Amino acid sequence: MGRSLFDLAIFIGKRLLYLIPVLFGVVVITFFFTHLAVSDPCSIWFPRSKPATLAACRITFGLNQPLWVQFWDYLSNLLSGNWGTSPQGVPVYSTIATALPATVELVLASLVLMIFIGIPLGVVAASAAGRWGDHLVRIFYLSGWATPTYLGAIIAAILVAPALGLPTSGEYNSFTPPFRQITHMSVVDALLAGNLPWASDAMLHLIMPATVLAFINMGIATRMTRSSMLEVLPLDYINSARMKGLSEFVVLYKHALRNSLISTTTVLGVTAGGLLSGTIVVEEVFAWPGIGSYAFNAITGYNFAGVIAIVIVFAIGVVVGNLIADILYGILDPRVEWR
Amino acid sequence: MTEPVLEVEHLSVDYVVGAGRFQALRDVSVRVERGHVVGIVGETGCGKSTLARAIPRLLPRPPAEVKSGRIRFNGVDLLEVPAWKLPTVRGTGIGMIFQEPLNSLNPAFRVSVQIAEAIHIRKLREAGAATRTSSGGEPFDYSRGPEVSRSEALGHPFAVGGTAAETVVEKQANRRATREEVLEFLRLVRINDPETIVNLYPHELSGGMRQRVMIAMALSARPSLLIADEPTSALDVTIQAQVLTLMKELIDEVHASILFITHDLGVVAEMADEIGVMYAGHLVEYGPVQEIFEHPRHPYTAALLQANPTRYKADGPLSSISGSVPNLSRLPPGCPFHPRCPIARPSCGADPGPSLELVPGATEGPSSHRVACPYSSEVVSPV
Repeated sequence: MGRSLFDLAIFIGKRLLYLIPVLFGVVVITFFFTHLAVSDPCSIWFPRSKPATLAACRITFGLNQPLWVQFWDYLSNLLSGNWGTSPQGVPVYSTIATALPATVELVLASLVLMIFIGIPLGVVAASAAGRWGDHLVRIFYLSGWATPTYLGAIIAAILVAPALGLPTSGEYNSFTPPFRQITHMSVVDALLAGNLPWASDAMLHLIMPATVLAFINMGIATRMTRSSMLEVLPLDYINSARMKGLSEFVVLYKHALRNSLISTTTVLGVTAGGLLSGTIVVEEVFAWPGIGSYAFNAITGYNFAGVIAIVIVFAIGVVVGNLIADILYGILDPRVEWR
Repeated sequence: MTEPVLEVEHLSVDYVVGAGRFQALRDVSVRVERGHVVGIVGETGCGKSTLARAIPRLLPRPPAEVKSGRIRFNGVDLLEVPAWKLPTVRGTGIGMIFQEPLNSLNPAFRVSVQIAEAIHIRKLREAGAATRTSSGGEPFDYSRGPEVSRSEALGHPFAVGGTAAETVVEKQANRRATREEVLEFLRLVRINDPETIVNLYPHELSGGMRQRVMIAMALSARPSLLIADEPTSALDVTIQAQVLTLMKELIDEVHASILFITHDLGVVAEMADEIGVMYAGHLVEYGPVQEIFEHPRHPYTAALLQANPTRYKADGPLSSISGSVPNLSRLPPGCPFHPRCPIARPSCGADPGPSLELVPGATEGPSSHRVACPYSSEVVSPV
């Protein structure tokens, strides 16, 4: 056990192996919940149909089989790469492949905001602990924390965005951009196509939903940074940094923050993983074609294959978020060994 | 006569915690001549460390509150230096060695990075001084350099590589020179294998090694005053002896002016030129080390010397001072030592307490023997 790249590779490999039982559990739970909750989905998918049509539907989707057989069929299909189709026959996999990158882009953008605004705010709060700067920061992040997502998103869409002249719907001004969407991340695709006007348009579209997500979730980063800074600041190595003649800025942002980031990173990793599933409301409000919108539609449309696939993706998101946090943790703290 | 490096005059510091007020320092005056080592001794909680941290303005406020006094460092009153200029006082001005080597090195950075920072700052100051000395002597000689501009004092965040104007070749040469200097300072503190040690993190070093690195770091800024706050107290006895020997050798090598804080009388006896004895936030006796050891004039100093275990004889009991250190929030009136003093009389408990006066028979001078006890002639020197 140590800190070499080899140790890191083994560490990552092990953690990915743990993913297998987690995903199996997720599939079992969601499959049986969805299929047991609704006894005859065909009659919901195709209401007021003739009994013959419904019977055909049941045969097409294998619903006439015992539940165990249905589960076994689903699982073997899943493992062979067939994620199933929606009741309307749209393949789940291709939908996820376009929706997930859009959400990942949104989450990453809000993560950048949380890191570059939330963490410095925590440093400011800690260095002004108990004084007005601390209180202002607390008012700011608590108001984000206390805002229900639907309210924050709607206020941003109908009050803030028009005032700033920012777009509030979709990824681009037009639904079909004039270039091939390779990654399905709007800004990245436009940049890959070398189309700067579309890239800046995509960025403008990203600002409002990313800001709302960041504002609501930023409190955790600020608070974590503040409290671990307060633990680090009285330590003597901060004073010995000061005694070298370093400016207070370097003392705070290099010597103190570096040691405080360890716990902030852990929390941010978990938050980022969780954010994948936390974008549903924001995506609905801002018509963002991500996995949150897809989740909303899949649930309201009784799209079982879609729901299970989304839950799998969310589970992977949480595990990978944690994994990245653990890797960063080891990079930030030289005393940590990967094991 | 040259100006002293440091002159602390009538310094009083309180700690305000909730409604309580602790008198950590009362009317303390200390003077460090250029090239001298001044030892401050006293029991735990007597205010030694508060004094050490008050001088470079490291005390957190709140709870610490400087009530009165002056701290003149190279002629500048540090209490009047604005907070944003303090970095210019530290480093090349005042360096410090802390008690706990475990906590005084940053766990996230390699030894090389931490020492290089101090060297880098010194080089910046030296470069600044070279361009400015032409404008004549300035009254702001905080760190042997002239007053620096605000941007210089605040600037260079994260940059440990030089200014943007440098070419890549110059940068590399600078980096190599700095690394060479880091190794040099590690060799100065008798680290055998500096090439390996520079690349290690503090947690990979032993306590004695860390303290050597800490000393190298403080010296690498070439400060005009070094404050050592119990540099050996947290170490094992054998390591303590090694570090002390090292410090004694370094004192002769670098001719530093040092304020040495310790609770160990043996240590000051070997190192210091002058010593100050502190009790409950008061400086009770001050003077040349030999005189104080041979003829202590304050009953507390005499008792302290008597209680030194090195004087312990196999046939007698270990001597101790009866009673206990007073609570700093409820100091007795008059002389703080009178409740435990063998020669106290009723008048000792009346305010105002005695102040530091020249010992009868001593000649007047900045570092001559002074004592805060009107009955000092009755104190019996320990045998």
